[in-house]
Amino acid sequence: MQVRNSFKLALLKQMLLGFQLSAVSSNSMSVPERKNAIKLSADAAMVFARGSTRWTRGLVAGLSENSNNEDLLRGILGKKYERLSLPCRSSWKIPRSRKILKRCLGLCSRRKKATATQHDVKSGSTLARRLVKKRIQVLKKLLPGGESMAGFSLLDQTLDYAVSLKAQVDIMRRLLKISKASNLNK
Amino acid sequence: MSSRRSRVSEEEINELISKLQSLLPEARRRGGGRASAAKLLKETCNYIRSLNREVDDLSGRLSALMATVDNNSAEAEIIRSLLRS
Repeated sequence: MQVRNSFKLALLKQMLLGFQLSAVSSNSMSVPERKNAIKLSADAAMVFARGSTRWTRGLVAGLSENSNNEDLLRGILGKKYERLSLPCRSSWKIPRSRKILKRCLGLCSRRKKATATQHDVKSGSTLARRLVKKRIQVLKKLLPGGESMAGFSLLDQTLDYAVSLKAQVDIMRRLLKISKASNLNK
Repeated sequence: MSSRRSRVSEEEINELISKLQSLLPEARRRGGGRASAAKLLKETCNYIRSLNREVDDLSGRLSALMATVDNNSAEAEIIRSLLRS
């Protein structure tokens, strides 16, 4: 799964804009400052390219927590900034889908509630379910805005986020390659 | 944005799961066969973590070089490379 070229182009453009706005090429910044400016530009650019969805709003909320970031965020996001800062009204899929989701993931035990037997051992599927629950908690922390998501939305947003991240990495790699090449020519 | 209620079909869910699997680097090597939910989630989390680490690393490396780059020519060159691939 990949993003369109138009996504990558928008990401690139806004990222370079971010570099300009934060004067990355000037010598007045310390290296850690420059790195943070680059990273912030890359994230804001990715949000811009993707537009409004739950993880982008989550990411903007997270980045906005640091008031120093506000100027650059506004500079890169422009009019989108206000829209992306609005609190999210959760859209929920009917709970029935969670059962379907669990079945598709192989998590439902079709057996009826078993009566107590000699074996007091947790069945394989119970352990699997516990493990899955744990890992879903981890995923929620990794995904911007993930804490308020569940079920299908969580996975759907995860896929969307991962695909966008991949594009972000791709553009930054290309930029690095070109920067190195142009450095050699100096 | 109003809250939406919508039914998610089994088909949509299966499609989502297979898209996630095909995105993950290891899935491509293995080629087919359905991984368990736990494995899928673990690999997804690892993948996202590694992408985030890479962004962090690239940011660091770019910070050392950005002082010398001409933004316009860099942009033009990247656009050219995107259109070629």
